[in-house]
Amino acid sequence: MERRAAMSERVSEGRLIKACREGDREAFRQLFESYNDRVWSIALHFTGDEAAARDITQQVFLKLFTSIGQFRHEASFTTWLYRLVVNSCLDEQRRRRRFVSFDFFRSGEREEDLSEEAHREINAMGRDGSHDWRHPEQRSAPEDRYSQLERSAKVKAAVRELKPKLRMAILLKYFEGLSYEEMAQVLGCSMGTIASRLNRGHQELARKLAHLDL
Amino acid sequence: MFSNHVNKNLSAYYHDELSPEDARRVTEHLLHCRRCRKEYEEIKLGVRLASQLLPDAAPAALWADLESKLDQAQVRSGGIVIESDWKRLLFSRLSFKIAACLILIMIGIGIFLAYSRRSSNTNTPKQGDDANGPGWAVRRIAGQPRIGERRVGETGKMAMGEWLTTDDSSRAQISVGEIGEVKVEPNSRIRIIKAHEDEHRLALARGKMLAFIWAPPGQFYVDTPSAVAVDLGCSYTLEVNDDGQGLLRVTLGWVAFESGGRESFVPADAECVTRPGLGPGTPYFSDASAEFQSSLARFDTARDGDAARADALDAVLARSRKRDALTLWHLFARTNETERGRIYDQLSKLIPPPKKVTRDGIIRGDRIMLDGWWDKLGLGNTDWWRMWKGPLPSQAK
Repeated sequence: MERRAAMSERVSEGRLIKACREGDREAFRQLFESYNDRVWSIALHFTGDEAAARDITQQVFLKLFTSIGQFRHEASFTTWLYRLVVNSCLDEQRRRRRFVSFDFFRSGEREEDLSEEAHREINAMGRDGSHDWRHPEQRSAPEDRYSQLERSAKVKAAVRELKPKLRMAILLKYFEGLSYEEMAQVLGCSMGTIASRLNRGHQELARKLAHLDL
Repeated sequence: MFSNHVNKNLSAYYHDELSPEDARRVTEHLLHCRRCRKEYEEIKLGVRLASQLLPDAAPAALWADLESKLDQAQVRSGGIVIESDWKRLLFSRLSFKIAACLILIMIGIGIFLAYSRRSSNTNTPKQGDDANGPGWAVRRIAGQPRIGERRVGETGKMAMGEWLTTDDSSRAQISVGEIGEVKVEPNSRIRIIKAHEDEHRLALARGKMLAFIWAPPGQFYVDTPSAVAVDLGCSYTLEVNDDGQGLLRVTLGWVAFESGGRESFVPADAECVTRPGLGPGTPYFSDASAEFQSSLARFDTARDGDAARADALDAVLARSRKRDALTLWHLFARTNETERGRIYDQLSKLIPPPKKVTRDGIIRGDRIMLDGWWDKLGLGNTDWWRMWKGPLPSQAK
């Protein structure tokens, strides 16, 4: 049953890609709607900066739409998409080296701001039921949700402090659930390298946030 | 494989990414090894923490922004080509061709000079590779320059870490490996920090040097007390006074002046001051008026929020010419939102921004808009910069 659903998903994705190649704007929109939250999440938590994440997300979809004719199904569509995301994030990182003084655009990452961030998120959830796309386990009583968001904000802040290569590995694993093989394809390295990056990422997170009650 | 510790495989073990055989060995090892068990507990905590990451919903306005860009697009078979980008693409390709030609010419000169130097003095060992260890050849131009305590005769060799010192009447020339030459003016103190095939680095503690580099960009650096000059294919002079303040003047090509992440891109005929504690100032063309230059210096050294800073910015804007767009554009990265609004207003009078560049976008620091406007300044485009600055970003296939 699950296999059939996955196959049907691939077929409909294939149709969507075909329509995009033919310049169908509605197909573009659907493809965008399917992936924009994922692209945004990686970009936001890789850069820690909303303005930069907005730029990256737009660049990724513009590149996607302008080069979708070159997509030949040799890799999976998501692998191709995440390569675009990774390259755009790395480009942004290089640009940021030139414009470090733009760091004041960064969203606040201080410990004391985290509760506020969680508070904002939970308010947004209350106003907009569409946020219920989150995993069912994540839908719980407001106070639980609050502490979960607060923890998530702390983890996000710690992830932003990881070295870029470790950070990207963690984001691809935990936002996108990619396998080591898929991550190796996206990042252009061996599975051993992926294992090593995740190992270091996990250890750093554990050492930074050992005090969190999990 | 796992007779030793298994710590490197613990995340893969947790994620079930090991072969059954390897997983079995890790399990067995963990039973007997307290150290690896402890690390595994740490990995598991890391996994639990990372699992707390919740994805975020993208802003609703993203599609509208993207759609407006798509509206400017022309649908072609096999994809979309953004109409307004055609000129930029064309210009960019033209620039790349010119850049490639320039690089080839400079590399050709370098190879020619290296060969002619070798053939004219076959007894001289290869620079940086003789029996005394890495170092560069030094030639006396005038007076009695010294390397450490030794006087330089007609020629000498400067080893890694040794200081070359000139007094008020001496001058010398350093051969920077085989990629360029540096003339050291009187009252200077300079030494080699790194002599590697891909990175040639000097430190200028005080005095003045003239560099002429024919290597590809990004291979020659000069550390000063308050910034690093990165050669981007060029010729320039660099002075450092006793207070550690530096002045860079570019005569050919480009130089990036950087410190603590703050960068200034300085083209030919422009200058940039660097100050201890502040880093590179805002670059300006050497022919800018004295009032413009002094106002810019006041702005660069004033504290954020000072009235003097606002006055200095007023003066800079009031005295700016079209050519000073270089300075005004760099100011966007050094100012607050209110100030950026004022800079936008003045720069748009001098060089109107491209259609897609808005005041709000510039104020919030939209990088695409900033790059777009830079491309209109007549100083080459941002793709050109990126090519100079480092390897081209890898393209997704």
